[in-house]
Amino acid sequence: MANPLFRISLTINGQPVQADVPATLRLLDFLRYDLDLTGAKDVCGEGECGACTIFMDGKTVNSCLILAVEADGSELMTIEDLSHGKMLNEMQQAFVDYHSVQCGYCIPGMVLSGEQIIKDHGKPDRDTIREDLSGNICRCTGYQKIVDAIEFAADKR
Amino acid sequence: MENLSTIGQSLSRPDAPEKVTGKTRFLTDISVENMVHGAPVYSSIPFGKFNNIDISKAEKVDGFIAFVSAQDIPGENQVGVIISDQPLFADKTVRYIGDSIGLAVAKTPGAALEAARLVKVDYDKKSPYLSIDKSRDATGNFIHKTNLACHHRLRNGDIDVGFAEADTIVEAHFKTPYQEHYYLEPQACIAFPIEDGRIKILGSLQCPFYIQKAVARIFGLPNEKVLVEQAPTGGAFGGKEDIPSEICARAALAAMKVGLPVKVVYHRFDDVQLTSKRHPFQMHYKVGVRNDGTLVSAKILLEENAGAYATLSTVVSYRAAVQAMGPYVIPNIHVDSNSYYTNLPPTGAFRGFGSPQAAFGHERMMDIIADKLKMDPMEFRLKNIVKPGSQTQTAQRLNESVGAEETIQKAARLAQWNSFNPDRSGRYKHGLGMSAIHYGNCLGAAGWHMDGSGVNIKILPSGDVHVAYGLIEMGQGAETVVTQMTADALGIAPSRIRVLPTDSAQVPDSGPAVASRNVIMTGNAIRDAAKKLLPVLKKAASELIECHKSDIIITNDKVTDNQSGVDVGFHELCDFMSRSNMSMEFTGWWHTPPLEYNAETGVGEAYFTYSYATHIAKVRVDTLTGQVFVDKIFAAHDVGKAINPAGIEGQVEGGVAQGIGWAITEDFIMDRGVVTTPNLSTYLLPTALDCPEVETIIVEKSEPDGPWGAKGIGEPSIIPTAAAIANAVSSAIGIQMNEIPLTPERVLNQLNKTEIKK
Repeated sequence: MANPLFRISLTINGQPVQADVPATLRLLDFLRYDLDLTGAKDVCGEGECGACTIFMDGKTVNSCLILAVEADGSELMTIEDLSHGKMLNEMQQAFVDYHSVQCGYCIPGMVLSGEQIIKDHGKPDRDTIREDLSGNICRCTGYQKIVDAIEFAADKR
Repeated sequence: MENLSTIGQSLSRPDAPEKVTGKTRFLTDISVENMVHGAPVYSSIPFGKFNNIDISKAEKVDGFIAFVSAQDIPGENQVGVIISDQPLFADKTVRYIGDSIGLAVAKTPGAALEAARLVKVDYDKKSPYLSIDKSRDATGNFIHKTNLACHHRLRNGDIDVGFAEADTIVEAHFKTPYQEHYYLEPQACIAFPIEDGRIKILGSLQCPFYIQKAVARIFGLPNEKVLVEQAPTGGAFGGKEDIPSEICARAALAAMKVGLPVKVVYHRFDDVQLTSKRHPFQMHYKVGVRNDGTLVSAKILLEENAGAYATLSTVVSYRAAVQAMGPYVIPNIHVDSNSYYTNLPPTGAFRGFGSPQAAFGHERMMDIIADKLKMDPMEFRLKNIVKPGSQTQTAQRLNESVGAEETIQKAARLAQWNSFNPDRSGRYKHGLGMSAIHYGNCLGAAGWHMDGSGVNIKILPSGDVHVAYGLIEMGQGAETVVTQMTADALGIAPSRIRVLPTDSAQVPDSGPAVASRNVIMTGNAIRDAAKKLLPVLKKAASELIECHKSDIIITNDKVTDNQSGVDVGFHELCDFMSRSNMSMEFTGWWHTPPLEYNAETGVGEAYFTYSYATHIAKVRVDTLTGQVFVDKIFAAHDVGKAINPAGIEGQVEGGVAQGIGWAITEDFIMDRGVVTTPNLSTYLLPTALDCPEVETIIVEKSEPDGPWGAKGIGEPSIIPTAAAIANAVSSAIGIQMNEIPLTPERVLNQLNKTEIKK
C-alpha cells in the first residue's frame, strides 16, 4: 500500500516552502534529506541531546520530535540562516573567540539554544545558562567554554 | 625584533567558523550520486553456531539491493588488528550479541534497516561467558582457543623482601565499569568502487592507515589500492580507532558487489550494542609501606573484560600494567595484567586506554594507605612522587620534563588543600579528593615498530602553504596546532597555512591518531620538513635579493637580508621560486626514540616520556538521596609546553567531563549480553549541570624530544578525574568507595550498610 502524502506549506529561513510528505516523516529528516539543510544533526533521535535544535515560530524545538506535517503553516529558522547572510552573528563569533568548539557536531544546536537563553533571560548568570543548556549534550568540551561564549554574547546585546 | 610566533598563544580554531554556521559537512551530512545504504545484520545470541542464513523475507523489502556476507570476501576474512581472532563476517561461530553476520544493502537507510531486521539466522546456542570470573574459571568450551586474550607482566625487584621490610601492608579490591564513547556522530562511512579496481573510503574515523590495511586484507589487494580520506568527524575518543576498519571493509565489499557507492551510518542502538567500549577492570592491590610513608613493595593483579575479540586489548593491558602504581617510586613491584574474553561486546580504545582504570586502582590505594598511616594524602604522595633522577616502577630513569610534584603542589595551593576543614554535621557532606597520574606518551615499547609519522608541506606560488599530515582532526584541535607549529617552523603567518583533510594518498603510513601523539609526532615531522625547506627558501631568497644566503632571516612573515636590511614578503619569495622552477614540496618524518625494554620482565623504558597531572575534586554528597555533586575540579597538567593554552583548557575541561560521567552518571548495563542502556534517557551523559567549573593549571617542564618542548594532553585530561572524585566522596562520608559509578543507589547502599553496622 502506498504511503499517503500530505501537502505542507511553511516558511523556512525566510523562504516559502511547499512539499508533499508522508505522515511519518520527522521534521529533522525533512530538513536534512529533502532540503539538504544538514546543520541540525540526528544524534539521539528522542529529544535528549538537542543536536537537532531549530527555531519554530520563534522558539527552539527538537526537530527530531516533530513530524513534518506538524510544521504545516509554521515559520522555521535553522542554523544556516542565523547570521542572515553575514559571516557570523555575535553568538557565533563568541563561540569562535571563546574556543567553545571542538568536534562541532553539537554546536549548531548549542548556538541556537544560546540564542533562546538570551531571549528568555536577557543577561543570565552562569547557573541560569547551565540550567537552560542542560537539554543540549556535548561530549567534547565539558560546556565551560560554551557557557563563556553565551555569557559574553548576552552581555554584548 | 618582535617575535610574532603564535606558539604559546591561544590561536582560534580555523575550523570553528564553518562549525558554528552549520556549514561543515560531516560524513553523515554527505550524499553522493547513486549512493545506496547498508545496515548491519548481527547475531542475536551471545555465543553459539549458526547454519543457515535466510534472506527470503529481506529480499521482498521495497528497495532491497543485495546481501553481503562471508562468501563475498575475496581475500582473508579477518579484521583482528593485533591478534587475528576476529572474522569480518562470522564464520559459523558467533561470540556476542552484535557479532557481524552480513550487511543488507538497499536504496534508502530505512529499507536497509528493515531488510537487515528480516534476515533470519538459525542458531545452536552455547552457554555464554558473561563475566571475567566465569571466563577465567572456565575449563573447556572456550570462546577462542583459550579464554585468556592476552597477558602482560612486570617483575621488578623482590616483592617478598619488600613486604618483609614494610611496617604496614594494605590490600584492597577495586572495580571500574564500562564506558560507552557516545561520540555524537555515529559510526559512518561511504565506500566507492573505482573503475580500475581500486577502492575509495570516505569516513568518520581516527586511523586512515588501519582502514587501508584492513580493507586491503579483505580484498587481498596491495595497500595502495585502497584510498582513505577522512571526512570531518563528530567525535571519536578512541571509538573510531579500530572499529571503522570493519565498518569500512563491509561497506567496501558491498560497494564492489553492487558497483555503487555504499553509505553505512550506524543507528544509535546498533552503535551502542555493536562497537567497542572502555574495558571494565577488576583490580587487586597489595601494597607495603614503611611507617614514614615510604612505599616499598606492591603486588598488583589487573583483570580486564576484553569482550568477544581481543581488538586492542593487548596494548590497553600493556599500558595499564606499566602505569599500575602511578607516578611513584616503588623499588619492588609485580604486576599481572590479564585480559579475558567474554561473550560481550569487544572493549578497546577509549581516551586513556587502560590508564583511568589503573589510576583508579593506584590513587584509591594511596588514599586508603594514607588513611591507615594517618598521613595527609598529599604529603603521602609527595613523599613518594617521581622527580628528575627517579626510577619509575619499570626501572626507567626519568631525567627531564618531570612535573609530577609541581602539579600536586600547584593544584593543592589553588584548592586550598591545607585549610579545607568542612562542617560534616549536616545532610550534605563535603569532601576534597586528590589524584596524581603519569601517562606514557605515544605508543611506547609495545607499539614502537609503528611509532613514526609524517607531513608533506607544499609551498604555493601565492605564498599559501598546504600541510598534509598522517594524523587527524577529531575535534581535539589538531588542525590548529599543526597550523601554529608550521607557521613558527617557517617564520610565516598562520593565515598562510591550510591543513588539508587527511588522505592516505598524500602522506606515508603515519600510524594511528591515538595515544595523545599528534602534537609530538606531527610537530617533530614539521620540524624535520622545515630543516630541509629553510635552506632552499634561503638560497632562493639570496638569489631574489642578491645577497648571501647565510644573511637571510625569515621571521614574522618577512624575508630579510640581515646585512642590508632589504626585505621581501614571503609570498614574493614563493612567486620567485615558482617562476624559477624550483622545488616547492618537502616531506618530514619523525620516529619516537629507541627504547630499551624487556617484554618478558616488563622492566625498562616503557615510553620515551611521560605527561603528569593532578586533579583535586571538591564534592558534596547528599546523604539523604546518595547523590554526588562535583562542585569544582582543580586540574594541574604538565604538558611540557602549551602550544595553544585555550586548546589545552578545552581538552582538560572535556576530559574532566568524561571523567565525571565515568565516575558518577554513566551506568552501562547489560542483561545477558543485551545493552539495556542504549539511549540517553538510560545512559546518562553529563550535562552542563553535572559539570563544574574547572580550574586548569598549566605546568611546563620542557621535554627535549617534544616539539617546542611539548608533550601530550588529550588523554591525561581524563585519567585522574574519577579517582579524585571517589577519593573526595570517600573522605566526605568516611566510607571507602572502591567501585564506580558512584550512582545515588550505590552511595546510598553504602551509607545504609554502614549505618546498620553502627
